[in-house]
Amino acid sequence: MLAGDLSFLFLSVMAGLLALLLIVLEWTLPVLPSPLRPICDLRVLDHFIKEARDAEVAMKACREGCSLSESATVPQTRVDFDVWEKQNSSQQADEVQSGLWLLQQALNLLRTSVTNTALHSHIDTSIRNLLSISGVLRSLNIQEYTPPASAADVEGTWRVSTATELLQVHVNFLRGKVRLLLMDAQACQQDVS
Amino acid sequence: MTCDHPSRLLALYVIICATTRASYIGQGARDFEKKVSMLLEQEPENPKCFAQGRKDFTCFWADDEERAGSVDQYAFMYTYQNENSSRCPLRELRVPGGKRLFVCHLNQTQMFVQMDIQINWEGRLIHNRSLLIELTFLLDPPANVTVSRTGHQGQLNVTWVPPPLKYMDDSMMYEVSYAAEDSQVGQVQVAWASSMLILRGLLPGTKYKVRVRVKLDGISYSGYWSAWSDPVFVETPPAELDPLIVSLTVIISLILLVLSLMMLLSHRRFLMNKIWPAIPIPDSKFQGLFTVYDGNFQEWLGHTNGSLWLRPTYFYSEECPSPLEVLSELHLCTSLPSPPLPPKASRALSLGRKDDTKTGLEAREPLERGDSTQSDNWLMDRLRALHQHPIPCSQSSLLESQDTYITLSKNNHGEDKHSNDPLEETLPLEVLFTSRKTVLSESHSDLGSGSGHLSSQSSFEYPNHAGTSKGPGYTYMAVADSGVSMDYSPMSRLDDIGRVAIYAHDYKNEIPVHRGPFLQRQHSLHGDC
Repeated sequence: MLAGDLSFLFLSVMAGLLALLLIVLEWTLPVLPSPLRPICDLRVLDHFIKEARDAEVAMKACREGCSLSESATVPQTRVDFDVWEKQNSSQQADEVQSGLWLLQQALNLLRTSVTNTALHSHIDTSIRNLLSISGVLRSLNIQEYTPPASAADVEGTWRVSTATELLQVHVNFLRGKVRLLLMDAQACQQDVS
Repeated sequence: MTCDHPSRLLALYVIICATTRASYIGQGARDFEKKVSMLLEQEPENPKCFAQGRKDFTCFWADDEERAGSVDQYAFMYTYQNENSSRCPLRELRVPGGKRLFVCHLNQTQMFVQMDIQINWEGRLIHNRSLLIELTFLLDPPANVTVSRTGHQGQLNVTWVPPPLKYMDDSMMYEVSYAAEDSQVGQVQVAWASSMLILRGLLPGTKYKVRVRVKLDGISYSGYWSAWSDPVFVETPPAELDPLIVSLTVIISLILLVLSLMMLLSHRRFLMNKIWPAIPIPDSKFQGLFTVYDGNFQEWLGHTNGSLWLRPTYFYSEECPSPLEVLSELHLCTSLPSPPLPPKASRALSLGRKDDTKTGLEAREPLERGDSTQSDNWLMDRLRALHQHPIPCSQSSLLESQDTYITLSKNNHGEDKHSNDPLEETLPLEVLFTSRKTVLSESHSDLGSGSGHLSSQSSFEYPNHAGTSKGPGYTYMAVADSGVSMDYSPMSRLDDIGRVAIYAHDYKNEIPVHRGPFLQRQHSLHGDC
């Protein structure tokens, strides 16, 4: 009787220690990020592009309360295919990531500048979509972008002074560089091949 | 000699290369001309610009007749967003139709940026346009369009090769146009970012013309519809019977056949009776005539009692017997107020018979014997004579009821209906029978005996002009027994006549032979009621 009690006590203590060990290990070991499934379907981006186009059209139709309080820094959207193809994937990724960051800053500025409430939903959608695109890039194992101290430090930028120009740049950037980068993503190429 | 061959070969090679290249260029020029002419129709703005690939860009405009300037007088300036403007060298092009075009061609383009174009003529701005190059694609039509049959009815499989553009394969949309060869109206189906399409719902065994054209879908890239590819003609497979439908039809028809056969077999007897009715035999009415007496009617008569005859319901249970009065004054005063009535010899003579007694009498046709007409005519003459001298001898015998009834009276007191005495006989009938006895020579055995025969005629008269007659007010019938005769060899005594079967009616399949004059009359009435 006593031996049974003792063995039972021993087993319970062992189980408790094991649990404690696992908890401690969980804390100490660095958390490895679970690999995200790559989002290779470009229809996701096409959806964002369509919404950005709607925002641009709405802004063009706006007459009042839709102006930038100050000029914003935006990425260059032009794509010369010869030049683009000469760049390696990390350069391309860097261009895209920095551009996305710049656009985020500019859209935040636009959101505070624009007083027309009808456009607020469009701008909010655009900001949300930019964050989603960052998530898509992350799923494709594209390196994270560490933003610089200020927008002026970024190379290859333009400055826009009107809201219409800003949203136009926004659309062109998504249609151009972002889409080309997603299309060429290595993670998606492996699936295809 | 040996040096000539290589030089000749080289020359030949150069010539071949040149012609091939020229053909390519020619083809390219033709395509270019086709695109130019298409844009001249579709694009309203000037200059008209299109991109054919990732690096290709062409702008052109048609010369205005008013200006009629030369190439040097024009300046084509283009400016990308946030960049300096550049000048594009122009060249002149003549197209069929006499138009003069000025064309600017760029080999290096920047996409996803706005491009501003300005055309100056001698320093003055004549055309101004702002566009994005990736939204002006005008591609070549899809190549290698092949149409093949699938395994199914009314389907065709269309495949093609997309234009070779990197990065843009998944942004292309295709339009497949198909029409039956003899039909003017065609249909169109759209395919997105794929290089094959299955056409469904086609007519079997028809030749179809299939064409494909391509355009960029407009989300990232956009442009104009390309020209239609060269048409491909393919015939759909001919209509074939669906095996399922055929098998179902066969099974259902077999089931129906079996059911109908079962129905027929179960109602066999009924159907046979309808199609081929059995000839009724009088067997049931004459008990033992055929079984015991082997058809010998005389013997059978001797062994049965007369009461069998005297119940009209025994014979005509389904008919309504109505008594008929026979005014039989023939025997005393020849005052039989019965006009000679047309016979009711056959059904075929039933129409229009009552109108004219004479014609009816003459129209009577002997059904079985031909020589009975003589006796008939004699009888009818006799009756006619009687009719012309109507003597209401038997007025007292006339009943006042509306029913017709037959009385037989030898002594002119025939008041009794349904006389039960078959022996009572009228003299004229006696006379008739005796006379007929001599005439008749044939024996016509219908009952199986050799001595009896039946005439085929009956002479019933049913006067419809009873009101006009001077006779009784009720309907009456006179029997002219001309159509009936019974030839019995022992019929030499008058008192035997009563025992003899006297009948005056049609012997057809529907009326059994019976004895007794009143019965025959009743029978005639029965036919009427």
